[in-house]
Amino acid sequence: MQLTILDGERTTTVESADGTSVAPSDLFTATGWQLKPEGLCQGDVCVPVRDRGELLDGDCVRIEGFATALRRPLVADAASGVVALGQSLIQAGEQLHDRRAPDFTLQDINGVEHTMSKIGRKKKVLVVWSSW
Amino acid sequence: MAVALDELDAAREWVEAANPSYPCVIDPNHVVAQRYGFINVPSAVWIDENDRIVRPADITPVNDLFKDFTGIDSNVHHEQLRAWVKDGVVPLPVEEVAALQHIPTEADELARLHRRIAAQLHRNGNDEAAASHFDAARKLAPWDWAINRGSMPLSGGDPFGQEFFDYVQAWNENGAPGYGWGNSAMRSDNATTD
Repeated sequence: MQLTILDGERTTTVESADGTSVAPSDLFTATGWQLKPEGLCQGDVCVPVRDRGELLDGDCVRIEGFATALRRPLVADAASGVVALGQSLIQAGEQLHDRRAPDFTLQDINGVEHTMSKIGRKKKVLVVWSSW
Repeated sequence: MAVALDELDAAREWVEAANPSYPCVIDPNHVVAQRYGFINVPSAVWIDENDRIVRPADITPVNDLFKDFTGIDSNVHHEQLRAWVKDGVVPLPVEEVAALQHIPTEADELARLHRRIAAQLHRNGNDEAAASHFDAARKLAPWDWAINRGSMPLSGGDPFGQEFFDYVQAWNENGAPGYGWGNSAMRSDNATTD
């Protein structure tokens, strides 16, 4: 069956034998996190995994175990094959408390990507609007 | 930079009509709302040259169309913005900015995840499955307009219809929660120049 993983800017549909776990390579595509001997890693950051049994199901990574290991909220709809990963509330809280502007990369109506942090050393006003 | 908390198809005509000179990105998954704590539109956050937030995410009127409703005079905001851009004058002491951020709670985060799943299911034509996630999101974050009003076009509602006016009434009866510092700092009757 297929599982659609929603994580930040990413929406990724991958194969999942049981609808709850995915191949490590698919986890990387869907989340940017890699399973390594030292733990779960994204770039230079590695989070040790205390209980690999909770994280792994054979060769596959359990999405729920992944969320638990990174202390990220998770909402799953097993019947529909969709799972959404939240941000770490500890990290998000610290970032806003320190006034560090969260980065993001989104597309304009022509599909051109824009990354907030790439604007550079300028004053920036982020205006949020909608049609509703 | 402008960020549309909207579906691409809904935002497109507005962007084309405005034809802005600055980047205007589409955020159908409300990633920016999630990371900055935006709960309504139009809102803004100001970010300095070192990528530090100097004005937290909050309601920001573009003009005075909703002045009677919000009590916010757009001129006050515009003057504050000019003072910051030209002279580096920040509208709030730095130490107060941290305290005024919308730090997400677990309920806030779960509400946004339910909304995101619902929107995804809606886009795939599965409105039946989407409905329970829209409901869960509304229950978890009842006064988040981006979730409640923003979900109306995706769930058969009208964000300018009776459903919306009923929502505003209930929101008012609950003390109009969620309008942060801007509602006091930018009210024309409270505005100070120091």
